[in-house]
Amino acid sequence: MTHRGRRVAGTLAAIFCLVWLFPVYWMVNTAFKPRPEVMTATPHFLPAHPTLDNFVTAVGQPQFLTNLRNSVVVVTLTVVASVVLGIFAAAALSRFRFPGRRTIMVVILAVQMLPGTALLIPMFVMFNSIDLLGTYLALVLAYVATVLPFSIWVMRGFFVAVPAEVEQAAQLDGASTWAVLTRVLFPLVAPGVVATGIFAFIAAWNDYLFAYTFLQDQSRYTLPVWLASFTNPHTGTDFGGQMAASVLFSLPVVGFFLFIQRNLVAGMSAGAVKG
Amino acid sequence: MPATTVLPDAAGASPPTPPPPTHRSRRRRRRDPAPLWLLSPAGLVLAVVTLAPIGFLLFTSFTDYNQRTLFTGRYAYVGLDQYSRLLADPAFWASLLRTVLFTAAMVAGSVLIGMGVSHLLTRLGRIWRYTVTVVLIVAWAMPNVASSLVWNWLFQPGYGIVNWALDQLGIFGDTTDLNWAQDPARAYLSIWLLIVWQAVPFIALTLNAAETQVPPEYQEAARLDGAGELAVYRIVVLNHLRPTLLLVVILSVIWDYNVFNQIWLISRGGPGDATATLGVFTYQTAFVGFQVGRGAAVSVVTTLLLLGLTALYIRNLLRSGEDL
Repeated sequence: MTHRGRRVAGTLAAIFCLVWLFPVYWMVNTAFKPRPEVMTATPHFLPAHPTLDNFVTAVGQPQFLTNLRNSVVVVTLTVVASVVLGIFAAAALSRFRFPGRRTIMVVILAVQMLPGTALLIPMFVMFNSIDLLGTYLALVLAYVATVLPFSIWVMRGFFVAVPAEVEQAAQLDGASTWAVLTRVLFPLVAPGVVATGIFAFIAAWNDYLFAYTFLQDQSRYTLPVWLASFTNPHTGTDFGGQMAASVLFSLPVVGFFLFIQRNLVAGMSAGAVKG
Repeated sequence: MPATTVLPDAAGASPPTPPPPTHRSRRRRRRDPAPLWLLSPAGLVLAVVTLAPIGFLLFTSFTDYNQRTLFTGRYAYVGLDQYSRLLADPAFWASLLRTVLFTAAMVAGSVLIGMGVSHLLTRLGRIWRYTVTVVLIVAWAMPNVASSLVWNWLFQPGYGIVNWALDQLGIFGDTTDLNWAQDPARAYLSIWLLIVWQAVPFIALTLNAAETQVPPEYQEAARLDGAGELAVYRIVVLNHLRPTLLLVVILSVIWDYNVFNQIWLISRGGPGDATATLGVFTYQTAFVGFQVGRGAAVSVVTTLLLLGLTALYIRNLLRSGEDL
């Protein structure tokens, strides 16, 4: 490519980065500003007196620790359930040929594309009638419904990548199906398990719709609902505190995204992380 | 960079081609009960948490389930009443039209920008390429609840940076107190910007993964034949990108059609019901008005409309060589 072409491309890239990074930069910038600098007619592009006060405010909110614990419990249970159930199903759908396999795969894909309300409404009605609304179990069931299908799909991709010879060799040595799975295949797909677990984490950690609908009691909120209802009763919306809370809430997700970036495109197209 | 070429497959592996099972092993496996016991735990759970609710959704849409029912548990079977009333409701048709138009606008915006960024990535040196990729991933990674709050702050009347920047431009007069959520066009614009901002990374990275697989000789040959850069892109690159592009467009349509959080957190479907797309309309019907039966009917109709697209997606996936 010509020298000039390269310069034009570099300039475009710089402009793109500035525009695309701006919202994130503005969130972080606001989070570190003391309140008088947040609410100014002329915006400060860097905090003149950087402070951690907003983070202290966010973490110090009466419900923060409770809601963090709710999130951690629900997300952990979802991740464990989806990965454990998913790995066996993925093994069956990749290492064996049996009638009905294609149908199952199609159903798994189709379930991914359902609008949120298609599961939300019936689950709300069902959980309401058996007094399950507002419990961890209700949320875990809802999240497993959205996470398990793509967990199976993503892990299946990792199983498919393992050459059949590996399995055949173990079978020739007289290993049982169970031994082939647990001793040979599962260790080989371990990276896939990690990626899937992270996708499951992100989906459950980010969910707002189910948590917002199922949970009435503030002490039951998960972090997304806590974040969206973040206001300071004394001073109206505290944007500094809200942005600090957003930074804290987003940090694990951004970290995980960068960590699994190689698998992102694959997981995303299975509906793993909805935009 | 994702090394993936086949869109739907994990592990960054090349297209999966499971070795053809030998005749013997195929016959042996047909009797193998292993898939059954491997599948049944996940199958049972999925039946309970997805298939049963979908059946129940259908059932609910044939009842007058409402706020009272939540406490008394009593409801009546009303047949197709919810559906006939829904189809006679102008608010539903308005919402459907809104959804179609807004989805088209979001998909067009994010796919076009995504194509541009994907192409830009192929023209960059290593450092810029890496920088743009990281920026894309960071924007993509932002949880949409957080990014919606950031948006509200960016577009906040009084102290928001967007109003300040518009004010500096000077062409719109004094924009300091411009309220974005209270005006239909502005509410749409700010939500559109948010959705496009978050959708571009996936599209750009997916397309770029496919674009790097276009054999350079083809482009060289076109250039030697005197084709300009635009013609090379249009004739050679786009032709190779077509299958990936199609999948990306279908997925974008499905996702954008289903958008809820961002609209809800920015405008609540307002002002009035100006931004109440089908997702918001369903939610308001079922959980604000608590006409759950009616909300279920809207949700069934929404799902049926989407089903056509989903079928198209799965068909294309199969065609692109995905072995189910």
